[in-house]
Amino acid sequence: MELLRPSSVEELDGGVVVHGGTEVVPLLREGLLEAERLVDVRGVVPRGVQEGVIGAGTTLAELEVEPAIPEALREACRLAASPQLRSMGSLGGNLLQATRCWYWRLGYRCRLHGGDRCHAREGEHREHAIFANDFCASAHPSDVAAALVALGARLRTNRRELEIEELYRLPDDGDRRTTTLEDGELILEVELPPVEASAYLKAMDRKRWAFPQVGVAAARHAGGSTRIALAGVAPIPWRIESADELDKATPLPRTEWKVPLAQALVRRALAAIE
Amino acid sequence: MARLIRTEKEVEGRFEEVWLVVEEDPLEQWPEGPLTVVGRPAPRQDGALRVRGEARYTADIKLPGMLHAAVLRSPHAHARVRRIDLAPALELPGVRAAIGPGEAHGLEEEAGWAGAPVAAVAADTFAQARAAVDAIAVEWEELEVVLDPEEAVRRGLVTAEARRSERGDVDRAFAEADVVVEATYRTQTVLHNSLETHQATCEWQGDALHVYISTQYIWGIRKEVAETLGLPEDRVRVVCEFMGGGFGSKNSPDEYTFVAAELAKRTGRPVRCALTRREEHTSAGNRNSTIQRLRAGARSDGTIVALDGEFTNSVGWSGWSAPTEGPMRALYACENVRTVTHAAQLNTPPMKAFRAPGFAEGTFGLECLIEELAARLDIDPLELRRSNYAESNEGTPFSSKNLEDCYRMAEPHWERRHEVRARSDSVWKRGVGMASQIWYGGGGPPSYAWVRLGSNGRATVVTAMQDIGTGTRTAMAQIAAEELRVPLENVEVVLGDSARGPYASISAGSSTTPSMGPAVRAAAADAREQIEDIAEQRGLPKDTPVEEVVGLLEESQILGKGARGPNPTGMSVLTFGVHVVEVAVDVETGEVRVERVAAIHDVGRIVNPLGASSQVEGGVIQGIGHTLSEERLLDPETGRVLTTSLDAYRMPTIADVPEIVCEFVDKPDEHLTNLGSKGLGEPPIVPIAAAIANAIRDATGAEVHELPISREEMLRALRDAAKKEPRGAPAAV
Repeated sequence: MELLRPSSVEELDGGVVVHGGTEVVPLLREGLLEAERLVDVRGVVPRGVQEGVIGAGTTLAELEVEPAIPEALREACRLAASPQLRSMGSLGGNLLQATRCWYWRLGYRCRLHGGDRCHAREGEHREHAIFANDFCASAHPSDVAAALVALGARLRTNRRELEIEELYRLPDDGDRRTTTLEDGELILEVELPPVEASAYLKAMDRKRWAFPQVGVAAARHAGGSTRIALAGVAPIPWRIESADELDKATPLPRTEWKVPLAQALVRRALAAIE
Repeated sequence: MARLIRTEKEVEGRFEEVWLVVEEDPLEQWPEGPLTVVGRPAPRQDGALRVRGEARYTADIKLPGMLHAAVLRSPHAHARVRRIDLAPALELPGVRAAIGPGEAHGLEEEAGWAGAPVAAVAADTFAQARAAVDAIAVEWEELEVVLDPEEAVRRGLVTAEARRSERGDVDRAFAEADVVVEATYRTQTVLHNSLETHQATCEWQGDALHVYISTQYIWGIRKEVAETLGLPEDRVRVVCEFMGGGFGSKNSPDEYTFVAAELAKRTGRPVRCALTRREEHTSAGNRNSTIQRLRAGARSDGTIVALDGEFTNSVGWSGWSAPTEGPMRALYACENVRTVTHAAQLNTPPMKAFRAPGFAEGTFGLECLIEELAARLDIDPLELRRSNYAESNEGTPFSSKNLEDCYRMAEPHWERRHEVRARSDSVWKRGVGMASQIWYGGGGPPSYAWVRLGSNGRATVVTAMQDIGTGTRTAMAQIAAEELRVPLENVEVVLGDSARGPYASISAGSSTTPSMGPAVRAAAADAREQIEDIAEQRGLPKDTPVEEVVGLLEESQILGKGARGPNPTGMSVLTFGVHVVEVAVDVETGEVRVERVAAIHDVGRIVNPLGASSQVEGGVIQGIGHTLSEERLLDPETGRVLTTSLDAYRMPTIADVPEIVCEFVDKPDEHLTNLGSKGLGEPPIVPIAAAIANAIRDATGAEVHELPISREEMLRALRDAAKKEPRGAPAAV
């Protein structure tokens, strides 16, 4: 295996991109990711915050104490992982992390791994999705992604600009991926529109260092519109128009408990940004 | 004088009749209360060594030329090896040897669970061994997989016959009871997760085998390895100087030891076989899940007249059936008690003892049921417990029992419930719950210690025991220092090597201090007597400082030896306690926060109050994990473990630790040894789950019936409670 350390976007030439390594290294070790070439992009991806634009190489530890970003993002960073992981993990990498579904992590030949069934649906799924869980019941683990969806973030990559919601896609028979990022495409910056208020609330099964059972981000945007997005409820970060949409959730037998939990958190998040 | 006796030996609630040579224990117990060294807080003698990384654990042993072993484990929950080809593994770089089923004890053709050891490889590096294991070609014949414990019991698939006990006339007592409550409780499978994974490094020196192993029982390893390999016991040397936790899972050698020994024999090189964290989650043992169908009957005055329990232990493929019924049989005075305990054999990883096996689970069920009974009778839960106080253990007198003192000491904590409840608001409901604790912990003979004292007045305690991380070295040094009347810093404890000291007890079943402490004291007293003789011959007063008496000895040494005396005949040696827990429950999101735990225990004399409070804190924190967040999950289709990593299997973090108040009755058991101390390793994990569940009930009126009390279970219990109560009515019982 070789490790490249390019210093500009132009030098990028294939390989598996690694930034903080908190996701890629465990996946390599478990054999879920194979790489002949690792590309350390820390010299390529901008880092730091300037006037509403955040370098995708900024670590979660830097963001959790950054006064110039909205509360929802700061709080999502603060409640993510552990101090050690937040010191290494980057904003861009966090958006691209894979599901924590144990079947996927253990290499079961599930739909996300190209197989023809979702093992969680008939199996052990108590931590899984309550929306869009027909094809794959995995739950998206990123607190930060939910916060950015609520905040209406725009992303700039080395090839295009896109809404954060365009980064994610539900997997289907034709394409099992959960993001639209192309080979060789790299998230460089995250741009946040100004918001009037925002909040992120997270339910965990212990006080720290856990992925969200349910995470709720809410933001009040200029002009009075409100955006709500959830983590841990669907295979991708899940936006809902209003709390009422939770009534249309399609939980599995052992994920029904997430619905009242999400309802309570959405209610509280909306109250927090009033 | 030595005396041959036939006696009952107890470890972890398992009894066996054994012949023992015991020595008389003529020493008077010390007076109650803190002495000069014993009973006063002492920091761990090896604390600095450990935090500086200088303590040499088994995982740190690196012998010259050492090879690394990896184990091939069954991917199937039940299967038989039809054909296995080790040749592809042997062709890979760095590989030195490979063994298959039957070639080392523990490697078997029939795999009874996913993770069962089948074959092993030794190579220059662990990565090479791992790669070689993956290259082994196995043709499997898949067999029927049984995962449901009640189905297994129905079909007679059990690891042991059902254990039945009955006293009185249970059916009649229920018929005559004023109030009967019943409920089904379920507890989950949890994992020990010792910091140091299970491992051994084996090296042959001629026909002698040296085993460096992370173990709770040096002498048990020696015996079992010798018996299995057909060696004389004195040809097996077992070393464990520092140990990274066991919690009951490291009492036996297991496949990794035999794999290392066999591969070492075949290669002529030392071989290390260490489980990975993943293997620790599939193949190193667990506290098995239980189903408890319980019933209690009482008169309206609060007298418990009948108890009935059907317990199902999901033992797994192998293991033993823990005494889940124990608390029901022994905690309360009740004339009519009937229990049956099933031992389901499943295609799941084998159980191993885990910190008060059976009693931690059984106390959750029983003490939640007692709370239900108190509510139905409208009697204060503390009063109900007091009024059913057991004066004997099913007729056998206790060597000592000070649970009454525990209840009295619990009062101020229990009183706080009014103020705690009053701090509830519309979202966060607060309440207080309690549960009592009963468990073994008396230790027993045989165990021996030597004390060596030089002319500089420094003493060395030598005994081939192990310190499994509980602070044993310090406690033993305190006992020796007290008896020798030398400063604590003048005593060193040498342990951890079967070639360097006499037989010593297992460190399981809360037995280390009660088994070893009296032997160390006896050895120190033997040395002390000799010192007093010398003083007398020199015309010095009896209380002349030791270094002054022995100061002219130059190279001479005073050698003392001591043995653990017998346990009191015809008496039941048990430990007691009570926990009072304060919780806050977010009734909208099901979040449970444990805010304060008062843990009060009666374990005889406390040798080191600082070490004792560490034990209680550890037990409480581990118990909070078992109560709220930990669960090993299996795929219901394949029986494979799904929670193989520490992000999927959730132990508490430091942020989850509440305020913990430790209190001890600290009264020596006058019938137990020259020390009067019982063990404390296990008691603090016994009552915590029930106390938390009862606090939740106090706070919200919701009855939880399952561990862990996940949000799913908490929200279910809140929903059911809301259905029972008219809306707007006060939730508290």
